[in-house]
Amino acid sequence: MSPRILVTGAGAVCGAGKSPEQIWEAVVSGRSAAAPIRQWDASTWPVPLAAEIPDFDPRVLVEDRKLHKLIRRSDLFGLYAAGRAIEDAGLLAARERLDPAALEIFNDRCGVYAGSGGGNYQNQYEFFPLLSTAKGDLAVFGRELSATVNPMFLLRSLPNNVLCHIGIRYGLKGPNACVTNHAVGGALALFEAALAVRAGEADRAVAVGHEAPIEPEAVLYYHRVGLLSREAVRPFDVDRDGTLFGEGAGALVFETAEAAGARGAKVLGEFLGAGSASEGENLLGLRKDGDGLARAITLALEDAGLGPSAVGLIVAHGNGTRASDASESAAIRQVFGAEPPPVTAFKWAIGHLLAASGALEAVLGVLAAGRGVVPGVPTLRRLDPACAPLPVSPKPQEPVSDVVLILSRGFAGLNVALLFRGLAAPIS
Amino acid sequence: MNGRRRVAITGIGLITPTGNGTAATWEALLAGRSGVAPITSFDASGFAVRIGAEIKAFDPGDWIDDRKLLKGANRAHGFALVAADEAMRDAGIRPTEETGARWGCVVGAGMMGVAFEELATVQQECAPEGQLDTDRLVASPHMADPVVFCRSQPCAGVGLLLRRFGIRGYASSVHTACASGGQALGTALKVIRRGAADAVLAGGFDSMLNPVGLGSFCLLGALSSDNETPERASRPFDATRNGFVLGEGAGFLVLEEWTAARRRGARIYAELAGDGNSLSSYRITDSNPSGDGPIQSMRAALADAGAAPGSVDYINAHGTSTLMNDRAECAAIRAVFGADAERLAVSSTKSLMGHLISAAGAVEAAVCALAIRQSLLPINANLATPDPECDLQFVQGQARSRRVRVALSNSFGFGGSNSCLVLRNPEEVDA
Repeated sequence: MSPRILVTGAGAVCGAGKSPEQIWEAVVSGRSAAAPIRQWDASTWPVPLAAEIPDFDPRVLVEDRKLHKLIRRSDLFGLYAAGRAIEDAGLLAARERLDPAALEIFNDRCGVYAGSGGGNYQNQYEFFPLLSTAKGDLAVFGRELSATVNPMFLLRSLPNNVLCHIGIRYGLKGPNACVTNHAVGGALALFEAALAVRAGEADRAVAVGHEAPIEPEAVLYYHRVGLLSREAVRPFDVDRDGTLFGEGAGALVFETAEAAGARGAKVLGEFLGAGSASEGENLLGLRKDGDGLARAITLALEDAGLGPSAVGLIVAHGNGTRASDASESAAIRQVFGAEPPPVTAFKWAIGHLLAASGALEAVLGVLAAGRGVVPGVPTLRRLDPACAPLPVSPKPQEPVSDVVLILSRGFAGLNVALLFRGLAAPIS
Repeated sequence: MNGRRRVAITGIGLITPTGNGTAATWEALLAGRSGVAPITSFDASGFAVRIGAEIKAFDPGDWIDDRKLLKGANRAHGFALVAADEAMRDAGIRPTEETGARWGCVVGAGMMGVAFEELATVQQECAPEGQLDTDRLVASPHMADPVVFCRSQPCAGVGLLLRRFGIRGYASSVHTACASGGQALGTALKVIRRGAADAVLAGGFDSMLNPVGLGSFCLLGALSSDNETPERASRPFDATRNGFVLGEGAGFLVLEEWTAARRRGARIYAELAGDGNSLSSYRITDSNPSGDGPIQSMRAALADAGAAPGSVDYINAHGTSTLMNDRAECAAIRAVFGADAERLAVSSTKSLMGHLISAAGAVEAAVCALAIRQSLLPINANLATPDPECDLQFVQGQARSRRVRVALSNSFGFGGSNSCLVLRNPEEVDA
């Protein structure tokens, strides 16, 4: 018999706020964080908008200033959200009560899982001055290297930075993974963390997805391959024209019911199951019938031992691109038939956070299920007939149960489905 | 253990600095032929380190007849595609239309970022003075090529493999620096165990042998600068060691659920029996001299495999040839194995093939599988001056003939992720 896996802490940061509660408030009040890009002058760009964190200040996110030189923007978000989730779960307070032997077991039995964003183009711009000096002569490049480039370049570029700095900062030493799998990275980090706890590899685990994709090259490339909107993310709308980038992180703490009960932890929700499937198409290709996503949902339901009718609401990937939304609605129809449960999506409000999206949307999805609210999608004007029937609405809806299905999709036809039960509990 | 699905290693494919292909790699390891030499793929004359373990005479087009697929592949993806092809051929099984959804793919992928040539092009076109000019970027023809964009995506490698083989199940890329390949195999093991797939193509690929990759390790002072004696530069556990040698390559394994593999009469190299991973949570590049971190990963892996320390006959060490790693690893092995450490054989094949970074864990697990299959242990080359703090039973001089019941493959990454894999002789499973 597998143990029950509970969600005992959450943390989040994105353009819409610096806590799950703030972000939730923005979503339910219909505020989108999409705004003109501030990191460079994009006013004349074909895509001038993104959901940036408006008052970005590294010191507010991570107080240790020495660390700022060793990590990327994305890592700041990940460390912040994971730290907030650990505090929210009360893990530090729980540890203070332990004797040294019990503390060692606690640390060795706490896992850390990260879905890491990146492919950061600007990370490597640190080599531009050197390349400019060398003018194509690699002998010069080699000779001038140490005089020009920050010796910490490689360490700052490590995709697993969040993983190791959470470990160092909090002394956690359990099983771990860093998933670098484009936009399903965060969802897979949650997936692997929850299943590691279920398999008894750890008593508890912190899982975080983090991302900072708003940089000139990424915006331009995504625009050129037709994935970005010029004005707003309108999931499933007949006039949708693409997605918009967001940045930030989302994190959850998972614990066995036994471990959570032993320390009297507050409980936000329960992890029920997960499934993942791919489509084997081109990197940017998607099957029109949503085959991979439909199989991921079916696998998650099987893993949870639930039928489709048990699902109370669906948090769709809903990225606002023509192909993804159409195939996503096909997949939902395939699994749920003509009458799926209420559907919502969050990217209209927070943007597409790629590797962070699945994790952050899981945080919001657990809140939605716990509070019994399916937030509306105010940017939706007219449902695309190709996506119908799909119970998605500009207005809030009521879930039909406390079980939430969260969908996450990425390049290379990757799909992840996560199932949680939400509990009506306070959250900081 | 009862009722838990076992995992068989039924196929191996290797593209390594010691040979293009499993047979060539293995033969060189047994013969003690080094893959380290002066760097030839670019002009390294100005760098403090001018040696590396390069893949030689490699053109993926010689192996893979799919120009369109290869257009989307960077150098490391090419290694991955060819090694994976060999692993599939070796296993004698491939995903079909019917079975594709029951196949998974998990890879240890290199650090994200664009290839050096592409970085240099962007610099020339858009940052001539060293600072990015966003107006120039918008106008740059380079930015109009979607293929360049696709190659730079973090899931590009796994995407190419999915497409090449028609794999439609669980698919993931992981990166925990030098532990990536080991963690990919560990993840794949769990995916089969929990029933999410019946077979997984799992491995790692990497190529940092370019001006930025070599440069960034030079800046950290992590590499051996024995430019005049490249074949002797990587000497794990030797008292005079002075850093690792940067390599490149790929290793892939076909993993299958045990009973299904037996039913189809597959040749089973070994059982992939256990995975243990831990975080050192010490310092970002330093190892805890006590071995804390690696100790937990080895213990967890042995417990996961249900293997007693006394049953381990061979450890393929992480053994990077840096002062700190090698001592910490020896301390960890001593702590885990106690008196049993005296009778188990240890070697680091990085002594011959250098450090393949994200591919290392997968390639070295394959080496363990071959050692089990052939009852032969590859040497720890270049160990001439013993380090009193590294006093284990190293395989020296020439390959040693020894039946291996259980083998361990260690991989420890920057950032403190530690991976240990346990491989078991199939005769021990069937006994």
